[in-house]
Amino acid sequence: MAALAPTSRMRCMYIFNRNGVCLHYHVWMRPHTTLSQQQDQKLMFGLLFSLKSFTAKMDPVGGNKGNLGMPSLPGQGCSFHSFRTNTYKLSFMESPSGIKLILVTDPRMGDLREALRFIYNNIYVEYVVKNPLYTLGQPFKCELFNSTLDQYVKTLQ
Amino acid sequence: MPGGAREVAESCVDSLNMELVATYCKRLHPTKPDLAGRRIEAIGYQVGLQLAERYTRERPRFTDHLESIKFICKDFWAEVFKKQVDNLKTNHKGVFVLQDNRFRWLTRISVDALPTTGAQNESAVAANAARASQAAGQYLYFPCGLIRGALTNLGVPCAVSAEVTTLPACEFNILVLKRVE
Repeated sequence: MAALAPTSRMRCMYIFNRNGVCLHYHVWMRPHTTLSQQQDQKLMFGLLFSLKSFTAKMDPVGGNKGNLGMPSLPGQGCSFHSFRTNTYKLSFMESPSGIKLILVTDPRMGDLREALRFIYNNIYVEYVVKNPLYTLGQPFKCELFNSTLDQYVKTLQ
Repeated sequence: MPGGAREVAESCVDSLNMELVATYCKRLHPTKPDLAGRRIEAIGYQVGLQLAERYTRERPRFTDHLESIKFICKDFWAEVFKKQVDNLKTNHKGVFVLQDNRFRWLTRISVDALPTTGAQNESAVAANAARASQAAGQYLYFPCGLIRGALTNLGVPCAVSAEVTTLPACEFNILVLKRVE
């Protein structure tokens, strides 16, 4: 993966589809991993699935509990969009088609909802979905996607 | 809509193109790539015929073949691909080469990146690029048909072929056919 500046706040990124297949795993700086990559991805997907349903059920304000597992428009329904620990921040976005984007960054990073939307609309859709050589539902490593993503991420500091 | 101009979302055209190639090359004729290519090119030919009619509605007739080719390079390309052809070469004996350095329908094609293992050797990178170029060639059948149809309707019978140089640049070769007297 492209080397970013040492001051970069990006750590890694996951993209899942609605069936739990990890379509893409992009790493910028991750010196410490405890699990194998497959376990890591399964754990991540399971966590997000549970967190989304938990946040919807515990919502004290909204009446619509939504259907478990069904994606909704970003901003509608009730879904968590990030959590922060003392060493990292995890930002999350789900598209109406069930594509989940997860961005793991430095904890000082601000709100990444717009950035995630941009990545989905202008990088994923443009260079992966519209890539004639790609079949939907498969993991991908498209070069144009990688290079455009690296370039965009540089502007996010 | 101004002046009755109707527009279609470009995503529709992109998706339709992708499906066209996928259907003909993978589903209908997986063992006969040339046949699939000819079928796609024939579809492009019909579309090109009609497009030439539309885009030259208000223009006077073209005086010679070079004028027709220049129309393709400038106005036709601008209407269909949102830019003009970057380079036109001819040997003045009926062969024209159109170079587009960033062909709109090839801009999103890329193959999976190689796993990064320290130093990537140049030959592996070049092989990857060659694979991408080869796979992209299928997406040029339709534009070849477009050009052939448009030129034929403007009175320039020809044969058109294309090849990908390095994504997203490509070249179209037009061979003007002599009428058999």
